[in-house]
Amino acid sequence: MVHALEEIHRLLKPNGALIDIHPVSEPSPIEIHQAGKVDLVGLLSVRQWCFEFEQADIALAEIIQRGVFTVERNALFDLPTHYASAAELGTDLKESVEIFARDAQAAIEPLPHVEALTAQAEELMRAAVSGAELIVHERTHISRLRPT
Amino acid sequence: MVNFRGSRVLEIGCGNGRVTWRYADKAAHVTGIDPDAKQIALAREQLPSQLQDCIEFHSIAFEDFASASEASAFDIVILARSLC
Repeated sequence: MVHALEEIHRLLKPNGALIDIHPVSEPSPIEIHQAGKVDLVGLLSVRQWCFEFEQADIALAEIIQRGVFTVERNALFDLPTHYASAAELGTDLKESVEIFARDAQAAIEPLPHVEALTAQAEELMRAAVSGAELIVHERTHISRLRPT
Repeated sequence: MVNFRGSRVLEIGCGNGRVTWRYADKAAHVTGIDPDAKQIALAREQLPSQLQDCIEFHSIAFEDFASASEASAFDIVILARSLC
């Protein structure tokens, strides 16, 4: 991660900016929205992802301490992702887990958790009114860094 | 947080372009890279026609892209979850 940040420093113009966006390491609520009502489907909590997000924070802190970048701004925001069906949610989450497993060269341990959440979403969507949608809320950290 | 106007942008880990669409119309040029060929194919499929001239997507690992790129080529680099 630190080497990648050094490469980014090389690719940036001297007055350029690095924007880092990554979720904070806390569970993401999955909600069902229908007719002005919001119900919680469950919490998406994948331990390995949390670990990776913390590692990203550590790498950024190291590169800042070494003076390669300086932080200009930090903020937190809610990044919602909307799904029209539980099947769409399930496919997206499964793909995310598979991409993570491929990149981290790790086993796909979180799949049962994701499948259970998708099943719960399916059950709630079956009972929901037409036009209901599922929303995953990721608490997300954004930083603007300046190369030094 | 960011002024994209007239900027040359590199987005690392662009995936299917979910973040790209939010700012690309303001930038002069966007290069989106991701090692996942399936996600890049989706991004190309969903690329709005009015943005076709200013966005290019490549399925490539960052290390390979960086080693083939010149220094000081970009005004803004976006890491969208890709430091993880």
